[in-house]
Amino acid sequence: MSGSADRSKRVDTSINRLIQQITPDEPHRTEEENQQRHDLFFEEIKQQLETPRPPPLADQNHASELIRRRLVQTNPSQALRFSNLYSRLLALPVLNQKWAMLYLLHQLTESHDPNEPDPVAFAEFKREQDVRKGRARPVESEEVMHGRRYAKEDREEFGSMGPSDNESDDEDYPQEPRGDGYHPTELRDVLKNPKPIRTLDGESNTKNQTNNVDYKRRAASRDEGVSGPPRRDVAIKSKLLADNYSEIDPSEPVLLRDLPYTLQGLSSTTLPFGKDYSLKLPSTLPSPLIGLLHTLAEPSLLYRTLEDFVKTPTKGLLDQSLRAAINSELRSYLTLVATLEGQIRRALATIDEKAPRNGIGKAGVTLKRCVVWTREATMGLRLMSLIAEESKTKKGGQLITLIHSFSSSHGDPIVGAFAERLLTPVTRPFYDILRHWIYDGELSDPYLEFFVQLTLPHETTQGKSGSTNVWEDKYKEQPDMIPSIITAEFSQKVFLIGKSLNFIRHSCGDSQWVESYSKASSKELRYGDTATLESWIDDAYKTTMRRLLHLMTNKFHLFDHLQALKSYILLGQGDFIALLMESLAANLDRPAGAQYRHTLTAQLEHAIRGSNAQYDSPEVLRRLDARMLQLSHGDIGWDCFTLEYKIDAPVDVVVSDWGNRQYLKVFNFLWRIKRVEFALSSTWRKVTTGSRGVLQTNHLTVQETWKTTRGFLAEMVHFVGQLQYYILFEVIESSWTELQARLSREDATLDDVIVAHTNYLESITHKGLLGARRRRFVGSDAAGSGSHGGEDDNSYMIQLGELLRTMLAYRDCVDGLYSWSVSDFTQRQVEADLRHTVPSPDEDATTNPGGPQSEFPALRERLRHLGDRFRTKLQILLGDLAYQADVDLRFLGVAMNFNDVYQPVRRKVKGTPAPPTVGGADKGKEKEREGDRDREERHKR
Amino acid sequence: MPAGDTGKQQAAQQAVDILHEISTILNCHLDRRTLSVCISMVENGVNPEALANVVQFLRKEKQKDDFAKELKQ
Repeated sequence: MSGSADRSKRVDTSINRLIQQITPDEPHRTEEENQQRHDLFFEEIKQQLETPRPPPLADQNHASELIRRRLVQTNPSQALRFSNLYSRLLALPVLNQKWAMLYLLHQLTESHDPNEPDPVAFAEFKREQDVRKGRARPVESEEVMHGRRYAKEDREEFGSMGPSDNESDDEDYPQEPRGDGYHPTELRDVLKNPKPIRTLDGESNTKNQTNNVDYKRRAASRDEGVSGPPRRDVAIKSKLLADNYSEIDPSEPVLLRDLPYTLQGLSSTTLPFGKDYSLKLPSTLPSPLIGLLHTLAEPSLLYRTLEDFVKTPTKGLLDQSLRAAINSELRSYLTLVATLEGQIRRALATIDEKAPRNGIGKAGVTLKRCVVWTREATMGLRLMSLIAEESKTKKGGQLITLIHSFSSSHGDPIVGAFAERLLTPVTRPFYDILRHWIYDGELSDPYLEFFVQLTLPHETTQGKSGSTNVWEDKYKEQPDMIPSIITAEFSQKVFLIGKSLNFIRHSCGDSQWVESYSKASSKELRYGDTATLESWIDDAYKTTMRRLLHLMTNKFHLFDHLQALKSYILLGQGDFIALLMESLAANLDRPAGAQYRHTLTAQLEHAIRGSNAQYDSPEVLRRLDARMLQLSHGDIGWDCFTLEYKIDAPVDVVVSDWGNRQYLKVFNFLWRIKRVEFALSSTWRKVTTGSRGVLQTNHLTVQETWKTTRGFLAEMVHFVGQLQYYILFEVIESSWTELQARLSREDATLDDVIVAHTNYLESITHKGLLGARRRRFVGSDAAGSGSHGGEDDNSYMIQLGELLRTMLAYRDCVDGLYSWSVSDFTQRQVEADLRHTVPSPDEDATTNPGGPQSEFPALRERLRHLGDRFRTKLQILLGDLAYQADVDLRFLGVAMNFNDVYQPVRRKVKGTPAPPTVGGADKGKEKEREGDRDREERHKR
Repeated sequence: MPAGDTGKQQAAQQAVDILHEISTILNCHLDRRTLSVCISMVENGVNPEALANVVQFLRKEKQKDDFAKELKQ
């Protein structure tokens, strides 16, 4: 009791200090006045403080919860701060009534700033002033106090809220639930059976130290004395509740005791688990309780499911990490359950066996409360079980995508945050693989979970090259395995980085650099900071690409090789080709079977030595080789000869097998043109020199024949010259410039180089008439292009082939005519020597030159025939070219027919070359003749 | 608060600090001294709700005094 007296004394001092603190003595008043006022306040306060009232809250945690909830609503950023402060406060050993202090603060929340005028106070003040007119102030204020107090008590009894009568406060907590619903009941309990509520407290019925009980007791005694009509209502209601409370079996404490086991997935006597994740609830319980237990059964069953899931064998690293992450989440769930169990234990220890419902309501832990406490955990478990369920059909990147979709697109922020938290541990193996890949260039992915995968040998796709390509076929990207945490562009980069590193290491033999690079720049990658990760990847990308290109350029001389290919295979090096052709010509005229490799290589060597090619680097010349293609029956050396440029790894990544074949194709084509040009010009030379000497004749028909022959020859030379010019300059050179521009770009990657080179080759073959499609008519293009697609692909090739063959045949014929003329000339010389007479021209005009057995008419006929064929074919070709979509090709047509000598013929029906119309041909011939004359004169000059 | 060793005093000081911070977060407008008086009262078994009323009451009285003063002037 002395403690109690001591306590009240201390409270008195505190009250004094409080009054002094808040309403300091006014200087303008006398000391007496101040003292009087002070005393007045003191009395008021004393009275108010001693007014018995129930403890505001049954649960000590509730105060902090109230504050937290309030802050979350009004000022979320402060809520976290508050939580920190609160936990620090809890850790302090000093205060015994922390909750009460918090409650006090809660009550004063958003109270009016005492330094600013308070409208409420002012209103009150006004009222007082009005009333004061007749009365003395002290009495008045006392009455106000009393009135207020009564009002307050009434409100309390109604279970409404606001402890203060500040209106603004009332508005502030409109929906704030009053402490706990069962307070009135408690009150009645105390009233009806005046037993100690807390059996643990030794001095029960008397004034004991526990303030709560003290208050309650006082409240009870007060209730007995003054029981207003409104209170009666509540009393009856709560009494009804208490009296109608029927015993349940098993009782709530028993259920509570077993609950922690259930939550951990362990069977207990009251709540045994059945088979297949089921929980058996006792059938004797009333349905509300069953409902609660149903809710509580959810986390239990989910926990069991997840626990089993965690134990299932895994299919991969990400599966494993998912299980580990879930496991750690389960562990924190178990921590929660342990806390819960502690609470339940403590509560169960304090309950009073004889109170209704075993007094469990007061203990602070009920089934309902357990439901609330496990609510959040249940959400987590639910999400995890969903993920676990879905993960069974997914692997690798898809798994990450799955979880990421929860974190990024789920509407519930709790779910989002939870999935986000789960992502960090789950993605760890993924980032490990990623790190290995982008820093070491090695794929350490035993379960095929990464979005880059090694191509298995048997499923290697036979690309257009027909053979495997280390760069393109060793690894492939699996689009469905790209997790949604990285973008497609990003994954493309990652793919390239790793591929390049791998390529540098394995194909370029520069593993030293890769190792030092990985040592220097290897970083720990983690889920979270995407921006940093991206910048790292960008860095890695740039470094790797630069290194790879550097290697390609400097170590493997990629650009030198491309240059060499252009100058040798694409006939860029004119002097070399001319020399080679000259020295090989005699050899190649023989049948293909008579070609020997050693002669070819010897001639090649000769051509190299004799031309500027000798100054090229030996690295390049070493790779140049002359050989024969497979021979077929009747071929001569020209058909089979080919130059070859050997490309080995790793440059063959750029100049692939396909590329090599394209080069070969172009070379063969060019070689044929070159050969025709060579043959034509040598014949032309012979004929031109001969016309001054041996070809002189008085025979008119022969003269006429030679004239047209020379015309045709000039036409052919013109045609071949234009064709060559076109291919070498318009096609190859311009494509080459384009290629150079692309290769010299700053951020070019090996992929870019490959693509650029492929484009280069394609444009050469396309524009070089090797693969271009011939267009019949523009109108039918849209409709019919699909139907006659494939067969036309090489039509230019075929047409040109025929033209070239015709020219060769013509040239042979001209050679024949030449030898006939020469023999005719010698014969006439002999005759003239004998006769010494000049034959009259009219005689020659009628008779067959060279006598009846002469082969001249046949030759002339053949020449005319071949010449016509050449012209017809050329006209068809021109007709086709004129309607090409490609400007360059059309330009070729224009260049060949710059003075409209030829009448381009448009073939209307596919496959049947229409003969030139009669009128057109006539007119054409007129023009041709003019053209021929022009050209002849040009050539003679 | 019973006087204890220095450690306890420090802890008490900390408690006041923390509570003051919380009160600032909550806009309670309590200065440290008032707060410590309140703490000691609550520790001595005063009902917090009643104490809250008292504080409000005193503040209002103070305000009224101020109004009265203004009126006089």
